Amino acid sequence: MSIDSQAGWEPKIIVFACNWCSYAAADLAGLNHLEYSADVRIIRTPCSGRMDPMLVLRAFNRGVDGVLLSG
Amino acid sequence: MKKRVGVFVCECGTNIAATVDTARVAEYAKTLPGVVYAINYKYMCSDPGQELIRNAIEEQQLEQVVVASCSPRMHEITFRKATAAGGLNAYMMEMINIREQNSWVHHDHEQATNKAQSLVRMAVAKVLRNKPLQVSTVPITKKAMVIGGGIAGMQAALDIAEGGHQVIIVEREASIGGKMTQLDKTFPTMDCAA
Amino acid sequence: MVAAAQHPNIELMTYSEVTKVSGYIGNFKVTVKQKPKYVDWVACTGCGTCIDKCPTKKLADEFDFGMGKRPAIHKLFAQAVPGKPYIDAENCLKLTKDKCGICEKVCPTDAVNFKDMAVEKEIEIGAIIMATGYDQFNWKEAYGEYGYGKYPDVISGLEFERLVSAGGPTSGHIVRPSDGKEPKNIAFIKCVGSRDDTKGKSYCSRACCMYTAKHAYQVKTKIEDSEAYVFYMDVRTAGKNYEEFYQRALNAGAKYIRGRVSKIYPRGDKLILKSEDTLMGMPIEVEADMVVLATAMVPSAGAVELAKKIGFSVDKDGWFQEAHPKLQPVETFAAGVYLAGTCQGPKDIPDTVAQASGAAVKVLGLFSKTELATEPMVSEVDITKCSGCGLCVPICPYNALSLNEINERGGHGHGPFTRQVAVVNNSLCQGCGSCLPACRTLALNLRGFSNDQLVSEVDAVCL
Repeated sequence: MSIDSQAGWEPKIIVFACNWCSYAAADLAGLNHLEYSADVRIIRTPCSGRMDPMLVLRAFNRGVDGVLLSG
Repeated sequence: MKKRVGVFVCECGTNIAATVDTARVAEYAKTLPGVVYAINYKYMCSDPGQELIRNAIEEQQLEQVVVASCSPRMHEITFRKATAAGGLNAYMMEMINIREQNSWVHHDHEQATNKAQSLVRMAVAKVLRNKPLQVSTVPITKKAMVIGGGIAGMQAALDIAEGGHQVIIVEREASIGGKMTQLDKTFPTMDCAA
Repeated sequence: MVAAAQHPNIELMTYSEVTKVSGYIGNFKVTVKQKPKYVDWVACTGCGTCIDKCPTKKLADEFDFGMGKRPAIHKLFAQAVPGKPYIDAENCLKLTKDKCGICEKVCPTDAVNFKDMAVEKEIEIGAIIMATGYDQFNWKEAYGEYGYGKYPDVISGLEFERLVSAGGPTSGHIVRPSDGKEPKNIAFIKCVGSRDDTKGKSYCSRACCMYTAKHAYQVKTKIEDSEAYVFYMDVRTAGKNYEEFYQRALNAGAKYIRGRVSKIYPRGDKLILKSEDTLMGMPIEVEADMVVLATAMVPSAGAVELAKKIGFSVDKDGWFQEAHPKLQPVETFAAGVYLAGTCQGPKDIPDTVAQASGAAVKVLGLFSKTELATEPMVSEVDITKCSGCGLCVPICPYNALSLNEINERGGHGHGPFTRQVAVVNNSLCQGCGSCLPACRTLALNLRGFSNDQLVSEVDAVCL
């Protein structure tokens, strides 16, 4: 199933981003005006070590389509 | 803790406002549970912008502050100070990034504005669970160590020593001086290295 | 150099290495290992009698890259600071074969001590400045076309510095290492290891353009009827008075040729350099008596391991990583640890001195405070929930968690008892929150990024 076949579908993607690397990298992407999909929501974490599996399950439980952990 | 959130949406000149309808974001914020005040302004980090926050905290008796603007890596300390200057605990403020992670990476006004709204919703939900935090203090041993006794180490050690503090230079060779002592005259002045 | 040694606030620990670092900003504990010198530097007057009398005189002097000779008991170089000798244990007759011992006999202050041992000292300090410098790129392993080091008259820029230095093995007379004759034609090759992704490093070493211009100028002014050929990719003279200095080298007669030397091979007692002159668009061949390579700077040996010990990061090439490339060039990610000089990346002397002063100001700023505010966004333990399982303790990368015994009042038929609970050291905790997922009873929480804060963010996104 390709995404194109579902025109109008807006997925909900949560990114848990480590403040020191991935969050900073997302800032850098902004600084360079690199465009990406507006469906992405970044939640800042102090470190990827902070990521509790509970949070990922919570997100899926609430209907999120994808979770990206980055750190 | 009472729920009285103030939301401050920054336009960052046109950096944010060119893509995100900041007035609409502020209007939306007012509909969120706990929010009693919301406003958009051209430069939140400027003096008048910070004054806006200080005054609103007092006049609206805010208990929590959300600043939707650039990255917290840029201005978190600025807005914590402004929050404290308004009489709140500095940690009762949350920043949400609608510039680097929104207006600069999306073109579509509608999508970017919607995203800004949901980001503000996220920050409001978080700030309602913030607790005042106290900064604690630790003593300082006022003695420095410089690892490496080349020109960098010697210069740093001399500057600290001149400032009135003890410095230890740790050098693995049997003499300080580093690579510099192996050099003859140095450019561009051709003075001697030792 | 002498100014640093004489300053009443500066203590020198030479021939010493840092072996362990613990603690945090304002309160570090550093273990320094002092290697055995076999000479008591307090008693030693630096008279040098032992150096004169040592019978093992023909050792290759590392300071001069083997171009000079030294005895087993020696100073690093004549003007060493402190000006005291030490014994090279690997080559000393007394220490290796229990013979000789002449230095001990001739020492007027009985400073020689063959039983000297390494000593470890723990020192409490508040701030650390890293100034571990650079090493030369090992071109002999990478550049087969320049002979892998098998031609004695192909030398590095730093070796040339020793040859041209008044304090060097030839008292500043430029001669060929192979036969001691004065060379007439000297070729310089820039970017050996720098700006070379395939064999060396991707970066520019920044100082080489200028020191090569200096070398070429020195050749032209010190040796009559000489030629200095400089093979280059670009000439980068970004610095105050640098372009003017380069012009001075050109005016002195240095011949700059834009091209990469593809091969060096001997012909008789000469060296032939094959290259292309890319401005003329044709291959050329230059005959030289000596070739000097401007080798890349690489991080000092052991620097990466040291960074790991202290707990800050290095970049892809092993240079110490600054906290922000523009706005925090002297800070590291470890609070209280600052960077000075080439340990952070290649740079020349003016930039090194400027950065060192910058790092010193950071330390002085820290020391101007009576107490240090700590980040309040740290972990906290709810001892009513903590079971004392201790799973969080080994997970903490900063050793901030430990188990402590607490006294409980008891009740329900039990008398008073003690049990273990986790305790957070607020000064060591960096607020990463790695301990939280390990806590089975949800006793641990992170201030500022608490469980309910993050859950509420997730929920708000999903609305």
